[in-house]
Amino acid sequence: MRSDTTPAIKLVGLQKKFGSTIAVENLDLEIRQGEFFSMLGPSGSGKTTVLRLIAGFELASAGTVFLDGKDVTQSAPFDRDVNTVFQDYALFPHMNVIENVAYGLRVRGVGKAERLAAAAEALATVQLAALASRKPSELSGGQRQRVALARAIAVRPKVLLLDEPLGALDLKLREQMQIELKELQRKLGITFIFVTHDQEEALTLSDRVAVFNNGRIEQLGTPRELYEEPASSFVAGFVGTSNIFSTSESQKLVGTSSVVSIRPERLRLSEAASHDTGTVSLAGQVQEVIYLGAAVRVIVLCEQIPITVLHQFDYGPAPEREASVFVSFKRTDLVSLGN
Amino acid sequence: MTRKPGVQSKSESGLSSARLVSSYLFSRPKTRLALLLAAPVTWLVLIYVVALVALLITAFWSVDSFTGEIHMTWSLDNLQQVFTQALYRTVTFRTVGIALLVTVIDLVVALPIAFFMAKIAKARSQRIMVILILMPLWASYLVKAYAWRSVLSHDGILQWLVQPFGLSTPGYGLAGIVITQAYIWLPYVILPIFTGLERVSNTLLEASSDLGAKSGKTIRLVVAPLLLPAIIAASIFSFSLTLGDYITVNIVGGPNQMLGNLVYSNVGAANNLPLAAAIALIPVALMFGYLTVVRKTGALENL
Repeated sequence: MRSDTTPAIKLVGLQKKFGSTIAVENLDLEIRQGEFFSMLGPSGSGKTTVLRLIAGFELASAGTVFLDGKDVTQSAPFDRDVNTVFQDYALFPHMNVIENVAYGLRVRGVGKAERLAAAAEALATVQLAALASRKPSELSGGQRQRVALARAIAVRPKVLLLDEPLGALDLKLREQMQIELKELQRKLGITFIFVTHDQEEALTLSDRVAVFNNGRIEQLGTPRELYEEPASSFVAGFVGTSNIFSTSESQKLVGTSSVVSIRPERLRLSEAASHDTGTVSLAGQVQEVIYLGAAVRVIVLCEQIPITVLHQFDYGPAPEREASVFVSFKRTDLVSLGN
Repeated sequence: MTRKPGVQSKSESGLSSARLVSSYLFSRPKTRLALLLAAPVTWLVLIYVVALVALLITAFWSVDSFTGEIHMTWSLDNLQQVFTQALYRTVTFRTVGIALLVTVIDLVVALPIAFFMAKIAKARSQRIMVILILMPLWASYLVKAYAWRSVLSHDGILQWLVQPFGLSTPGYGLAGIVITQAYIWLPYVILPIFTGLERVSNTLLEASSDLGAKSGKTIRLVVAPLLLPAIIAASIFSFSLTLGDYITVNIVGGPNQMLGNLVYSNVGAANNLPLAAAIALIPVALMFGYLTVVRKTGALENL
């Protein structure tokens, strides 16, 4: 029955209510075998609830969860072949690192020598072999994160669920762990489902991303699709930064009557208007200049509408505040978001 | 306008003297600590340690059986009597047996209640349950014991309840003591276990289940080890409180005696304070032994 075309996870008409609030609304989703899939959204958007429905910590109010083609909607977490890396790591404080990692095998009845060997291997995968006999309280946040990861992969699940696993780490460590996660996923070949509210993290790591808002998926696609062709103003605003113009604003600026968005890095600043065909030039005044290191963010007021421009130093020196400038862009870079 | 400066300077001077004391104390952490601990340390040393030492010393004195006066000469007679006479051994075993039984019954009853309160009940019903459990503590101990006397009596409510099933009330005796004590000390057992369970985070239970453990294994491998200090704390309450009780025995115990009754009758009717002190050392020694064993297991380190 099962083949590589069977989705690792298939959700059909999934719904979850808590009392009268609807956390997840009529969700259909297929996640492929071996995919790095991210669920991205602000807090309260339902992404974590979907993860908990897949893991079995919550039972669906309606709909079906298929895991590898098998209906697991009513199964307990211990009967589902998925494992979770928890946001707070949830390491057992009374066990040392290797006992934590071996726990899944222990409750499956694997013999002591065998499970400790498998746990040591999982620990080596996350480069923590040296800390096997430490207690979780003696570890740093990053190390606990790795132990949680090792514990989840030690039982070789079909799908690994990661609930904001990098949220508690500082920036440098987070970037390092992102690279390691991606490598790990390639090496193990198992499906990763990654929940995050950090759009940059989702874009860098994922094969595909689902953007959640108010309990439903706003858009599902590759990171490039989400960034370059956002389907709604919510996605355009949440994934990266965008200049989003309402219908009246875009009427004034570019003469169209729909909501449009354009990325700040698609805009150029110049002292004179550009007359190239297909290029729009808007006269404006620099309101704010923010130094970012690699570039400068310039906010220009055109027709009383603030427009954010990402100005690279390659394009010339950054303008002064209150200078008169032209903001130019190609018409084809505008993304129409409907009305 | 003319009065205002005067008022201000007065309040300022009051402020500055308080300020002076504050800044004096701020720069002297040891003085601060001494002031903070003076009252509790005095209480602990004078009332607690001194009383215990007095008890220990008294056990080595004797009483003139004719005049009833205490002779302050050292002798091991009292301790010898307590260790060798069959009466004291029988009563000690009975008392320890009752205390153990009460502890086991209370733990068996308290664990599911505490689990429900900590992990299942919603915030509101949890608060109501805490109040319900605390409420009996506001009632007098005597009232509760006499209430059980009435419940257990041969024409009491228990008899009326179980009669249709061909059973009868245990009446006054060892069973009555165990039931009454188990009832009276139950809140002291529920509350530590409840707080202990609240400290076992829900995600640990989820993680265990996620890794493949069914409820039984989660309880054995995760909940029980983390809860052990709380269970031990709870058992110390029910065990030691039962060990020292003598009032319940008089009310629902029939002719039975516990160690407390022996102490009581020696202080009162027999007027032999040294012997009473020697008997009182038995529960002290028992608790000391229990705590030593518990400490050896390392359970107290996680408290």
